[in-house]
Amino acid sequence: MEVTTAVRGGRTPIARRSRTRIDGWAATTILVAAAVAGPLVVLPASFVASPGALSDFAGLLPDALVATAILLVGVGAGTLVLGTGLAALVSFFDFPGRRWIEWALVLPLAMPGYVFTLFALGSAGDIGLGLATVRSSLGAIAIFTLVLYPYVYLLARAAFLSQAGDLLEAARGLGMSRGRALLRVAVPMARPAIIGGVALALMETLADFGTVNLLGMQTFTNAIYKVWFGAFDRDAALQLGTMLVTITLLLLALERFTRGRARYGQSGGRGSESVRLRGVAAVAAFAGPLLLVTLVVLAPLVQLGAWSIDSIRDGLLAPEFATAARNSLLLAGMSIALVVGVALLLAYGRRASPSRTSGAAVRVATIGYGVPGSVVAVAVIVPLGWLDHRLDDAAGVGLLLTGTVVGLFVAYTVRFLALAFQSVDTGLERVPRSLDEAARGLGSDRLDVLARVHVPLIAPALLTAGLLVFTEVMKELPATLLLRPLGGDTLAIAVWQATTESLYETAALPALLIVLVGLIPVGVLIRLSRRVAS
Amino acid sequence: MSRRSLIAVAALGALLVVGAFVGIVIATSGDDDELVVYSARSHYGEEKPFETFSDEEGVETRIFGGEAPELYERLRSEGDDTDADVLVTVDAANLWRAEQAGLLRPLRSAALDRGVPAGLRDPKGRWYGLTVRARTIMRSTERVEPNEVTTYEGLGDPRWKDRLCLRSGTSDYNISFVADQIAKRGEPATKRMLERWMDNDPTILGSDVDVLNALADGDGCDVGLTNTYYLGREIEEDSNFPVAPVWADQEGRGTHVNLSGIGVVAATDRAGQARRLVEYLASPEQQQVLADNNHEYGADPDVEPTEEIAQFGRFKRDPIDVAGAGRHLDDAVRLMNQVGWK
Repeated sequence: MEVTTAVRGGRTPIARRSRTRIDGWAATTILVAAAVAGPLVVLPASFVASPGALSDFAGLLPDALVATAILLVGVGAGTLVLGTGLAALVSFFDFPGRRWIEWALVLPLAMPGYVFTLFALGSAGDIGLGLATVRSSLGAIAIFTLVLYPYVYLLARAAFLSQAGDLLEAARGLGMSRGRALLRVAVPMARPAIIGGVALALMETLADFGTVNLLGMQTFTNAIYKVWFGAFDRDAALQLGTMLVTITLLLLALERFTRGRARYGQSGGRGSESVRLRGVAAVAAFAGPLLLVTLVVLAPLVQLGAWSIDSIRDGLLAPEFATAARNSLLLAGMSIALVVGVALLLAYGRRASPSRTSGAAVRVATIGYGVPGSVVAVAVIVPLGWLDHRLDDAAGVGLLLTGTVVGLFVAYTVRFLALAFQSVDTGLERVPRSLDEAARGLGSDRLDVLARVHVPLIAPALLTAGLLVFTEVMKELPATLLLRPLGGDTLAIAVWQATTESLYETAALPALLIVLVGLIPVGVLIRLSRRVAS
Repeated sequence: MSRRSLIAVAALGALLVVGAFVGIVIATSGDDDELVVYSARSHYGEEKPFETFSDEEGVETRIFGGEAPELYERLRSEGDDTDADVLVTVDAANLWRAEQAGLLRPLRSAALDRGVPAGLRDPKGRWYGLTVRARTIMRSTERVEPNEVTTYEGLGDPRWKDRLCLRSGTSDYNISFVADQIAKRGEPATKRMLERWMDNDPTILGSDVDVLNALADGDGCDVGLTNTYYLGREIEEDSNFPVAPVWADQEGRGTHVNLSGIGVVAATDRAGQARRLVEYLASPEQQQVLADNNHEYGADPDVEPTEEIAQFGRFKRDPIDVAGAGRHLDDAVRLMNQVGWK
């Protein structure tokens, strides 16, 4: 805390000094912001370019709005209840195995929705569940709730643990029962965190393509795919994308707003004395969450493992499996260098030349986090495609941008820069500014300082950023599907394609790999938070 | 900021760009000597005929797989710059779209005219059918007698209330089916038929395989509509699979048949080799290989069906009217939205 305050305090004079001119670092941040967020301009521009595009698809928009609203309400309620309930359970009660349960409940973060959908569709018959039940709004709400509740759980838990215990004691002293005290005091106090978590879960729901497509939900991302590859109308796709982004940005604003309030809402207590559960209550408190994690993580892993073995034995492995695995690793690996590199430039640029302009540039550059992958894809392909044909006309180089992975990398950068930036920036903020000044005083220039002082100091933050980018790219589906060059199938694509054909065994091995890779950053997250906790 | 660091930043940026491009070259470079095929059939492990073609003709082929509409969209946006030499689709709609967009090059070939019957090829030789795919009524053998439903219209009979299962209305096979019905029966009659289907509150599922499995499991599904090769695959796995086809409209026009086809890309610079590949794949021998692999029927009526589908018996085909149905694709989508076939 002291470090942050010191840094914040030290920022003002520097800001005042450098506002007068735009130096190279400020120019860098502005350039990065323009390059990353630039393509998104085509979204609203599509309404100007062809105002009537959507009118050919009457019915699509109302359907998308209704389906999206149903999903948002359902998933919002589901994650709210499940995430908050579980967080309250592990924060205010104690039972044998609580320390394990506390962290196991985070594991569903590693399960992409479309992989769980593959599991649900493929094994629905075995447990007597009709396919039509899985492929319903209720099924979709259940699936999203199960894989997204950890967002609410994590934030609510952090909020509960930081609450002052004496407030709860006071409430009990005033005659409230323990349950009432929790509902009337603890939960309202954690409200900003809970709403923030729900907003994140809903943003993920809006951005999803795989799950809604496999379940036949007529939501926005599915509608975008439909007008693009059913009617081949990119303008209509762009306009649908613009509406979707508007909804997402509203949620993002809600999340930012509540997070801002959360900082003041917390009283910095050390949490209340937890209540020791005994007997049946203790068993239920342990078994309930365990069952949940078994259903969401363990059972799918076992089933996918069994199907993988079947697929290898019966020769049902997708013929392009090896290529897909290689492509996934290459794309994810190269994205680390690109996205983390750009994030570092951006974060350091703002530090080296802090000003209102560079602050704004950062906000613009990281806006892509709120833009669903399928929307990023349409937004990227239109300007790149145009540029590509101009380039080819001028130089005869063939389609360098849209025919290759360049388009994909642009999309990944737009989409995941915020993720990398947050880690990198948090790391940089921890480095006292006095170090910068000292190093500069010894005659190093800014870049020298970055390379010799900061990069070594924030190596763990860079690693975390890299890991996050790597796993996100591994499981990314919509942008990859829409922008991949020919022969550029990835594991995620292999899962989706095989699942649309109901070839569950073929889909299993690539899905298994995605989940296993996804478990790594979740494991790191758990280790890190454990260290902070102890 | 010093000049040195400015140069360094520029160098760093350039390094990133160069790195990305090197990666691209590694990831996507193809050999210039290859014949590039955009094939929607690649999911079914059907590269065999391409491999034998390469062996016999000494021409390397490189297959890029994808969904048929996606391949068409790619071909269209790549325009004259495309690397593709040959397009293979799994349905007539995308052949028609590619033909209309001028993406396919007309061929004249006596061999092709012999191997592919008229009606299953473009009169101008821009595309040729390889295999045909019947889309017909499926019934549970445990709950439905063979003669209970014999026509597509019959699926609208109230007796199938809550017992009918359909694949989603976004499926290309369903859209092509409806477009073909519009072309042949007219829109009002087609609309009436679909409305009666929808009156039966059909269960909508995600794939033909799901429909077949739901028919086998009960699950509120006793009759459905799917392509027959999916049933062939199920029967190959389990010879007692409790679902059987009903050849629809045998007293009338016949059972709706879609086609998987091939054409040479207009912008190809290897027209000769591309044409040889088309002739090779469309030959009765290779039609047989393709049909065997996926339990389909050859475009050439002499191609033998696999054992699994031969037991379904012979049937009267009603080949899709590609030009007619193609013109009604948009109408079909609109109509299906109107009647609520989601």
